[in-house]
Amino acid sequence: MMRFAAGVLLALITAIGVGGAAFAQTGPARHVQAELVAQRQGIAPGETIHVALRQQIQKGWHTYWRNSGDSGEATRIKWDLPAGWQASEFIWPTPRRVPVGPLMNYGYEGEVLLPVALTAPASARPGEPITLKARASFLVCAEICVPEDDDLSLTLPVTPASAPQDPTWGGAIDKTLAAAPKPAGLSAVFQPRPAGVALAITGAALKGADLAGAYFFPFDATVIDHAKPQAIERGQDGLTLTLAPGYSFQGGHQPASMGGVLAVGDKAYEVAAAPGAPPPGASGLGPPPAKAAGGADLGLAAAAVFALLGGLILNLMPCVFPILAMKAASLAGHGGGDHAEARKQGLAFGAGSVATFLVLAGALIALKAAGSAIGWGFQLQSPPVVAVLALLMLAVALNLSGLFEVGTSLQGAGSGLASRGGTLGAFFTGALAVVVAAPCTAPFMGPALGWALTQTPAAALTVFLALGIGFAAPFVLVAFAPALLSRLPKPGPWMETFRKALAFPMYGAAAWLAWVLAQQAGAEDLAKLFAAAVAVALAAWLAGLAQRGAAAGGKPFVLTAGAGVLAALAVAAVAWPQGKAGELQSEPYSPARVAELRAQGRPVFVNYTAAWCVSCQVNDKVALSTHAVEQAFARHKVAYLKADWTRRDATIAAELASHGRAGVPLYLVYGTNGADGVILPSILTPDIVVKAVEAADRS
Amino acid sequence: MILRRTLLAAAVSLGLATPAFALPQLGQAAPVFSAMDAHGHKRSLADFKGKTVVLEWTNSGCPYVGKHYGSGTMQALQRKETADGVVWLTVASSAPDMQGYFTGPTARAWAAKEHWAGTAILLDGAGVIGREYGAKNTPHMFVIDKAGKIAYMGGIDDRPYADPESLKGAKPYVALALADLKAGRPVATPVSQPYGCSVKYNSAD
Repeated sequence: MMRFAAGVLLALITAIGVGGAAFAQTGPARHVQAELVAQRQGIAPGETIHVALRQQIQKGWHTYWRNSGDSGEATRIKWDLPAGWQASEFIWPTPRRVPVGPLMNYGYEGEVLLPVALTAPASARPGEPITLKARASFLVCAEICVPEDDDLSLTLPVTPASAPQDPTWGGAIDKTLAAAPKPAGLSAVFQPRPAGVALAITGAALKGADLAGAYFFPFDATVIDHAKPQAIERGQDGLTLTLAPGYSFQGGHQPASMGGVLAVGDKAYEVAAAPGAPPPGASGLGPPPAKAAGGADLGLAAAAVFALLGGLILNLMPCVFPILAMKAASLAGHGGGDHAEARKQGLAFGAGSVATFLVLAGALIALKAAGSAIGWGFQLQSPPVVAVLALLMLAVALNLSGLFEVGTSLQGAGSGLASRGGTLGAFFTGALAVVVAAPCTAPFMGPALGWALTQTPAAALTVFLALGIGFAAPFVLVAFAPALLSRLPKPGPWMETFRKALAFPMYGAAAWLAWVLAQQAGAEDLAKLFAAAVAVALAAWLAGLAQRGAAAGGKPFVLTAGAGVLAALAVAAVAWPQGKAGELQSEPYSPARVAELRAQGRPVFVNYTAAWCVSCQVNDKVALSTHAVEQAFARHKVAYLKADWTRRDATIAAELASHGRAGVPLYLVYGTNGADGVILPSILTPDIVVKAVEAADRS
Repeated sequence: MILRRTLLAAAVSLGLATPAFALPQLGQAAPVFSAMDAHGHKRSLADFKGKTVVLEWTNSGCPYVGKHYGSGTMQALQRKETADGVVWLTVASSAPDMQGYFTGPTARAWAAKEHWAGTAILLDGAGVIGREYGAKNTPHMFVIDKAGKIAYMGGIDDRPYADPESLKGAKPYVALALADLKAGRPVATPVSQPYGCSVKYNSAD
């Protein structure tokens, strides 16, 4: 009997338990306590006040934001209001990120107020209480999820005039409303790229803001892969986030817009992004500097000591490795003799390193004082600097490979010890080592540098000075220690081999910098860099020919001049500021978009192009990117669509075939009369395009 | 070929390779897998070559799964489709100690209780198939066409709510995708937002 009773009891409990898990009605184990609370003690006829759904959530559990992320369900509320009363949608506070295993959810923990604007009808009669009823449904999850429902009500008096603030909830609701994300006049565009969807957001609110930890919460769950990190790139006017694309980008599609909340520090802004090319002000300044953790109480002496040690260890960093190759080559040149020369060069190298550290630090402090949000290593955030450095690395590598010689120092080192003019070379080797090593210092020297940059300029310079001394110390010490120096192997023919082998780390450094440039500036600038690299190599070879000619007694002035001009042209080509202003704003092509635009009665210009199509690029440059064409497009409100066939695309291929083409370029202009598109010649001039556009607008 | 492989290896070693795309791609070959089913048989995607395959992620304790099994709509679809020759694989990727973790016996007991009517229940406690497919939710649904390509991925319908009331008037994406495939039409809605509980992967990763 007892056993039977226990069995029945168990069955009952199980039944209740299962029912609870499936359609959880109010049971003993609620995870959320919910209630309705008001901002004011009453409401006047015609007035709008805020009331909030308050959720007190059990520790370790969470409810969800309007987009719940990878799983879950947003809290919902269904109002049952007397006639004439109106309640708005929730005004959602900025959510938290709640990672669940490999997934990411957006929601709230602890206590949350979800306010709505409540508007009384003008006909509401003062003196009569009003009861607001609502059914709140929410999913509350820890590792498991339970749906909960609550029938809630709140009674407020209708008052003749505005009522005073509610003493318990008024302040909290005001605070929630003040902190809630709002539009701040930010402009936003998004563009799918190979690395992810670039979301560029610019506007006054982001200028000079600390963008570390910036995060985009999309309203729609299909636009991004929530669990993936969002890479931040800062710009003068805002930032660019690189987002992992979500389902809406499957199969070559893209959403019509991307709305959401950008959270930056304790601020949050509503943004609505349209498809388009990011403006230049949204990037170019690199990721936000790492937060200086625990550096606040570091004294100057301690910071200087850390910096000195840091400088020493910096010699082992991969960034400096290629430069060490140069140092090693130079050191090897002094093995076994001429200690005076070695000391001179050691000091010159040290002076070069320290001076460059100080110059960079001074520039950094000045820029910081001028309000730029930049960090250490900033010089490598500028694409022209990276490009010039890449060419420099290539030149050094070509030199080590023996294509040409610089001065007589290395030649001297190869043939004996009679090196002259090596001092200046050593100074610049030191300078170069610092410029390239700087980005490596950021993660390693974070606390000391973070501290330094918040101090007076003099203290900051002291820290950087210590860093420079530490960095240069090993080389200088070796140069000053005859015992060490004499242990170095004797110079000989092996040095030529050694030197040629050392060229390869330098080629590697050039390749790495080219990759950095590709990340920063894109394929076009990379192509330019490669062209410049070929020119530099040609210049180096000509210079080598000239040198050998001179050695044989000739006067190869033409060769020398040619080499100089070529090298100068190469550097100018990559360092010159890019004139991108003339590039036409385009939007991605789709047949649906063409139909839509034509339905709006706009002339449409479709450019079927591809990165690998040289004539397409030429047409882009000489015709489409000209001022005349830009003005004509603006005048006739031409919609400019780009069908990018760089990667295989069945839609574009079919479209090309339907116009009897097997490839790009193809330029189609659709007139406003709905007739078939006019095909333009494959070689464009500005005049052809302008005339075609004018005809399209008339027709 | 060797050259290409060498270049690829070089690119990978230099960190130049673009990161692997996390989501399975619509119209691309479905990731292959093999796993034990609830009866201890090894099942591989390759076994079902030439057949339409449905993958359904499940978690017996999830209220969203409960909505579809409690109302019987999931089992009805399983019966109809398997009768038409469709292979229906129910995948349990909950990790041990997590809600919805299945061993052979617990999976069979659940199947009997719910009158489950699919082809096989795959035991994926390590979450291997789940991660391969980027399964986020229970129920998260995939349809693989006879050519072995992903033809549908996303939610089972367009109502991302746990409330059984929400089944009324829902647009059953999976049923519609299967109907489109049978009729030889392109799938009208090939991708939708998956919804439900999170898949209870081992939290260590």
